[in-house]
Amino acid sequence: MKLFAALLSHYRRHPLQLLALAAMMVVASALWTGVSHLTSQARASLGQSERAVAERAQVERVDGMPVTVADFVALRRAGHCVMPWLEVERPASTGRVVGIDPLAAACFGQPAESYRGWDQPLNGESFLDIREAKNLAAAGDGARATLSLLLSGPPGQPALPEAYRRAPFSLGPDTGELGESFLLNLDALGVLVLLITALLLRSVHQLGLAQRRDSFALLHRFGVPEPAVRRALVIEIVLLAAVCVVPGVALGRLLAGGLGSGFGQALESLFDVPLFAGQGSSWLTPVLTMMAVVLAVCLADQLHFSGRQVIRRLAGQGYRVTLLTLVAGLALAFVSSSLALTFVAIALVFAGAGVLAPGLISELARRCGRASAAPLTRWQCAEIGVLARRLALPLVALQFALAMVLAVQALVTVFEATFDDWLSQRLAADYFIEVPAGADSLAAADWLETQSPLAGSGRWHRVVRGRAILPAVDGWPGQTVDLFALGPVSNMLGTWRLQAAIDAPWEAFSRGQGIMVNEQLARRRQLSVGDSLTLALAGERWTAPVLAVYPDYGRPAGEVLIHAAQLPAGFRPDGESFAISPDTADLDAVTSGLKRVWQTETLSLRDNGRIRALADSVFEQTFLLTRSMTVLTLILAAMALLIMGWVFFTTRVWYYRLLAVWGMGPREVAGQLVRLSVTLTMSIAVLALPLGIWLTWALVHRVNPQAFGWSLPMAVYPEFWFELAGLSLIIGLSIAALMRRQLRQPAAMPVSASGLSGGER
Amino acid sequence: MRSRRIVAALLLLVAGCSEPPEQAGFAGLAESGQSPATVPFLQPEPGDRLTFPEDFGPHPQHRIEWWYLTANLETSGGEPLGLQWTQFRQTLEPRPPTQAPPPPSRWPLQAAWKAHGAVSWTGQHRFAEKLARGDVGHAGATAEPFEVWLDDWQLTSEGGSDAWRLQVSAADWSYDLSLRVQGEPVAHGEAGFSAKSASGEGSMYFSLVDIAIEGTVTVDGQTLSVRGKGWFDREWSSQLLKAGQQGWDWFALHLDSGDKLMAFRLREGEGGFVSGTWIPAAGEPVALGPGDLMLTPGSLRGDMPTRWRLQVPDYGVDLSVKAPPGDYRNRGQFPYWESPVSVTGSHSGEGYMELTGYGGE
Repeated sequence: MKLFAALLSHYRRHPLQLLALAAMMVVASALWTGVSHLTSQARASLGQSERAVAERAQVERVDGMPVTVADFVALRRAGHCVMPWLEVERPASTGRVVGIDPLAAACFGQPAESYRGWDQPLNGESFLDIREAKNLAAAGDGARATLSLLLSGPPGQPALPEAYRRAPFSLGPDTGELGESFLLNLDALGVLVLLITALLLRSVHQLGLAQRRDSFALLHRFGVPEPAVRRALVIEIVLLAAVCVVPGVALGRLLAGGLGSGFGQALESLFDVPLFAGQGSSWLTPVLTMMAVVLAVCLADQLHFSGRQVIRRLAGQGYRVTLLTLVAGLALAFVSSSLALTFVAIALVFAGAGVLAPGLISELARRCGRASAAPLTRWQCAEIGVLARRLALPLVALQFALAMVLAVQALVTVFEATFDDWLSQRLAADYFIEVPAGADSLAAADWLETQSPLAGSGRWHRVVRGRAILPAVDGWPGQTVDLFALGPVSNMLGTWRLQAAIDAPWEAFSRGQGIMVNEQLARRRQLSVGDSLTLALAGERWTAPVLAVYPDYGRPAGEVLIHAAQLPAGFRPDGESFAISPDTADLDAVTSGLKRVWQTETLSLRDNGRIRALADSVFEQTFLLTRSMTVLTLILAAMALLIMGWVFFTTRVWYYRLLAVWGMGPREVAGQLVRLSVTLTMSIAVLALPLGIWLTWALVHRVNPQAFGWSLPMAVYPEFWFELAGLSLIIGLSIAALMRRQLRQPAAMPVSASGLSGGER
Repeated sequence: MRSRRIVAALLLLVAGCSEPPEQAGFAGLAESGQSPATVPFLQPEPGDRLTFPEDFGPHPQHRIEWWYLTANLETSGGEPLGLQWTQFRQTLEPRPPTQAPPPPSRWPLQAAWKAHGAVSWTGQHRFAEKLARGDVGHAGATAEPFEVWLDDWQLTSEGGSDAWRLQVSAADWSYDLSLRVQGEPVAHGEAGFSAKSASGEGSMYFSLVDIAIEGTVTVDGQTLSVRGKGWFDREWSSQLLKAGQQGWDWFALHLDSGDKLMAFRLREGEGGFVSGTWIPAAGEPVALGPGDLMLTPGSLRGDMPTRWRLQVPDYGVDLSVKAPPGDYRNRGQFPYWESPVSVTGSHSGEGYMELTGYGGE
């Protein structure tokens, strides 16, 4: 007990150190818990939603007439769980609303669960009780109402009455695997945050230990055996972790709760997944994880684990091993064909870069000192070297945090730009009009071709979707791919961004001289522009050259694009529609004409402008949140460096006072401090730059294609580098400002002669 | 009265798509505020009379009403089987009965419906709940021909006022029963006005107490032939409970002597308001007031008093009533206890018991 009291007396003399360690544990636990809590909630919600979406369907009348209240009543009385969904399209200034009947929705799933699920949108702006929605539609003002009947339960159970059939029901653009991609990015972010927090914790703890070496030596001289001191230190850190991790986890859950509403909104709008609070919200996992991390990083020196010797041996090999690790990681990232190997490669590169960075700064400082004859410059360089070595861990943490922020920023910006382009090309038309089941799309195409001002305007095209078979050829196994047929080639297709193409690809396409493939198929079959691809359509084989490769985000399926005129007569499409930008044409006249051609009372019309606006706002929210989380990490790293820098500089106050002894004025001493701290933080920012750019490349060109089959274009954003450089500058200046205050107080002697506690010269 | 009232309030809650109203009594049944609409709610009062067959149909100017059937059946193997079917109607916007509702195409929301179904067999209790908005067509009630339905659950008259058919189907159980109504409706309280407190709250309440039932009940794919007797209640009001009344204990008993007894207690603080009807095998029903009837709870099962002593000294009735082993809580949005009971003591018999407003629900 006396030993314990003697050990703890250090913190009584240096409460700031205890506070720094405890604060770091709390904040690190909070940050990681926040990120992991949101991710697990999102994953649970996504899973739940996927199960629900898998069964989402609507009921259509076999006679093609629109469904009515009478159909709803007939189906409910026949025991089918259907609920009305009344979409009311209003002029742009007022927007769309959806009317639902929450009472009818009660049969969707378990009552309590379904009620909670439907309760959320009801509080939103665009969902109303169906009576209110109907009243809005009836009020006129150009509003248009469409009733759908959503059907619960798996197909065929129970069988619908003969007059009805089941049909898929979509609430918005199909985001496919974008949800998983989003979560994978969050997972990666969580791992990086964990790594950074581990480094920060270790650095603060190591500093504390270094400053207590003299106390340990004293205890040893008094006859306390080393194992006893070690045991006491283990108990101390376990107690501290127990006290700090739980509030940290609680704080993290609060953080997640604060971000949760915006995050949930983004998740719901983007992936149609409401974020259900309380899901994936176990306390045990984050507490145990953070306890394990805290104990592992703080007690690594206390425990005689064999890896430590290996690391020491490796470290003894110097930069050769580190360089080898870095090069191996870089090479592995290039050649790896699996996601796991790519993550190993990223880990190797980070490990190599992390070990190299402080050493590199130190080495450069040493060389700089040798090259100069001026004593002050030599002192400055030597001091930079010492600082780089002694503040290695927080510096590396800052480097990682800067690299991560840089990569996430680039990734998010690229995501935004790319999806913007992609949405533009896929939603180039103002409206999609679905061809009703059994209706003749060719007759409609002929009719549209005769309608002024649409005729010859290039403002519409027919879209056919179905399946094609790629027969087994040249060692490739046979496979089924999605078929996408367009025709005539409209002006809207000119906005498509192609990844690779022959000259004037759309002209050749419109002449039927070839096909286009999506990126996924091109990667899978190693297809390039000019290669030939054999297709089997409706039993007929057809070989055509690849004219272009187009990006196709958010889903893994391979896809072939052919001209609609080349579809064989026996081809059975899964769905057909018309993409139309009426421009000066009257949309109502077009839809009325198509209704006449198809002899139907109802048309499914999708307003792409609305979908586009929704997607835009949702991406904005999502990316804002991702950025917020990375910036929080950066702030944590900066604060850690600030604390470390301050504490560490304090131990060197005596040496800085010697500057005054050498004849420098207070302003000159302060200037020296600014030079030291800013050089240090700016150096680490410079070293973070290549790591960040490389990480961006690895995420965009390796992780995403391997995980999802599609890649994003690579881009760098130098203006953001300057923002980060500015942040590093602020951190450096802050450390110098803190030191300047410290120098005003007397410090007659160096606080320790130990090399680890800042006494290195 | 009964828990039936319960659900209706909840329907309002869901249908209103708004913040739940502050609870007034159990399930909001002590709510007394007027609707914002210009048409006021009607509140039953002494002197009101029953009208047949109209009163089998809905009362759109009253806040709450229900159609309630409980049955004590026996399988062909001699096992007792209890059964409940209830349909609740909650008026959200009152209108005179003579006025037609808005057309279904407007998706009106002047009323909300709820249905409860339950089967109690071999100690197991299966329960299901359904919701619907009124006046659209998939839920409703008519007096002539008598029909009450919500989705595919329905009670319909078949070829005459005394032959009914009840069909209810849930995920893992269902029943399809033929009902033969015997005897005239029994008006409770004062010619149908059943007081629920000394200060005047009450409802219109009548029962059909002698219903012969046979048919099939299917549980987990096993179809059972059943037969037995049922008890059907109709009740409506605009303010059933007095503020401060926490819930009620209700009994409908078939005694082997051919006599029937309906009794209830509305709990308020340590005491409460007790009322009932003694229906002799021969002769006119007799309304029982607070001085005529004693309801004493016995041992608890969890928070539920599942054993009772019922006494009507004037008629030599001293009954011990108990629920069979099992948990008979209907776990809907407003949970309550609804179980068959066996009767011993001065008379033997069987019946149903409903307990609402207990903490453990």
